[in-house]
Amino acid sequence: MNQLFQFLLRQRNFLLFFVLELISLWSVFKYNDYQRTLYFNTTNQWVASLLAQKQEVQNYYKLRDINRELASENAQLRQEVFRLKAQKAPDLKLPYYINEAVLNQYQPLACKVIDLTTQQSQNYLTIDKGTKDGLHPGMAVISSTGVVGKILSCTENLSMVISILHTNNTVSAKLKSSGELGYVKWAGWQPEVAEMMDVSKYKKVVKGDTVVTSDYNAVFPPNVPIGIVAKLGLKKDGNFHDIKIMLLTHFSTLQYVYVIKNRLAWQQAKLEQSKPKPE
Amino acid sequence: MGNSSTFRWILTVVFTLLIQVLFLRDLTIAYFAFCFLYVWPLLKAPIDTPVAYLMLGAFVLGWIVDVFYNTHGMHAFATVLMASLRSPIFRLLTPANGYDERSHVSLQEMRPLWFFSYLFLMLFSHHGVLFLLEASDFNLVGISLLRGLSSCLLGILVFGILELFNLNK
Repeated sequence: MNQLFQFLLRQRNFLLFFVLELISLWSVFKYNDYQRTLYFNTTNQWVASLLAQKQEVQNYYKLRDINRELASENAQLRQEVFRLKAQKAPDLKLPYYINEAVLNQYQPLACKVIDLTTQQSQNYLTIDKGTKDGLHPGMAVISSTGVVGKILSCTENLSMVISILHTNNTVSAKLKSSGELGYVKWAGWQPEVAEMMDVSKYKKVVKGDTVVTSDYNAVFPPNVPIGIVAKLGLKKDGNFHDIKIMLLTHFSTLQYVYVIKNRLAWQQAKLEQSKPKPE
Repeated sequence: MGNSSTFRWILTVVFTLLIQVLFLRDLTIAYFAFCFLYVWPLLKAPIDTPVAYLMLGAFVLGWIVDVFYNTHGMHAFATVLMASLRSPIFRLLTPANGYDERSHVSLQEMRPLWFFSYLFLMLFSHHGVLFLLEASDFNLVGISLLRGLSSCLLGILVFGILELFNLNK
């Protein structure tokens, strides 16, 4: 017994090393999974307040850019209103109507970005609304120009968003002109560039085409722009297009984002649950 | 360590941490080179610091950075590894006349060759592991190692410059 103690005493540095590394690794694998409650991160109140102050200072210097972005968004919205107004009249002949609930299915909620990273291998954002404002994990987050990510976890007043600049966060997507389906995944280093996967080489893809979220998307509303096809090639295995897209969201200047509340999500989930299960 | 030098030490730690999480976090050169200034106190700790203290300090330091980076234990893992590799690296690089006369790691007391190889080994053990863990994706191993190497070179440059300011005191 005495010898054992002696041995442990001699190896105490190694033991300490072992314990500390074990704690770190445990933390890595426990908390980096999806959908866990996270407190040791930027949704921590103290950390968030420090980062929010830093963001305040940065915002001041970015006011000009923010104004420009707002103006362009206004213009875009106005254009959309015109388009919708024009569309409305001729459709009335069909005996089809969209009920009010479906029409108002998606409700955006503007949130301020407290903290974001764009340069790490896997990136996250912290925003200033939480469960108090009706947010919960899994909701879609978009910006005025494109897709941002989805909510990973919420505290009472803050939420953490897993950015599309994260190699585990893929988005179901389609090409706007041809409707070809695939999914968008970040390539792992430049925050402007992502890849669209799973588009067969026999399908026609044009440079400059817009990539939008698909209709079969559990998270995002359909037709939210993601990016623009910038470079075309062939994957190494020879069966798929190698499509590089320029993301439309400018992560480096992102100040405000919209969280999309899907008001019919629970109904949809309920319906899908009632599907007869194959036995 | 005397009282005033302990105070300076704490100040250095707090200062480098603040710079790291408020400024350097968003800085990069071409998405490949990152600067991790917060390991400076670990690199510069007196040579006779007990390994246990160094590792505990490294763990706390890494953990704080983790909280700000949303990386949960990755920085802590890398810093503890670096702290534990310090004495093997000292042994590997022993100067011709041993460490008897020297108590500090600095350009002034060590030869440049010793100092820069020390920096390289320490920084690469930290950055390499860190980027591999951070990516945790087999497809990104090449990119991660490249990032580790370029960040390491940037680190040598930055710490070398910092060291030059310490030269004539």
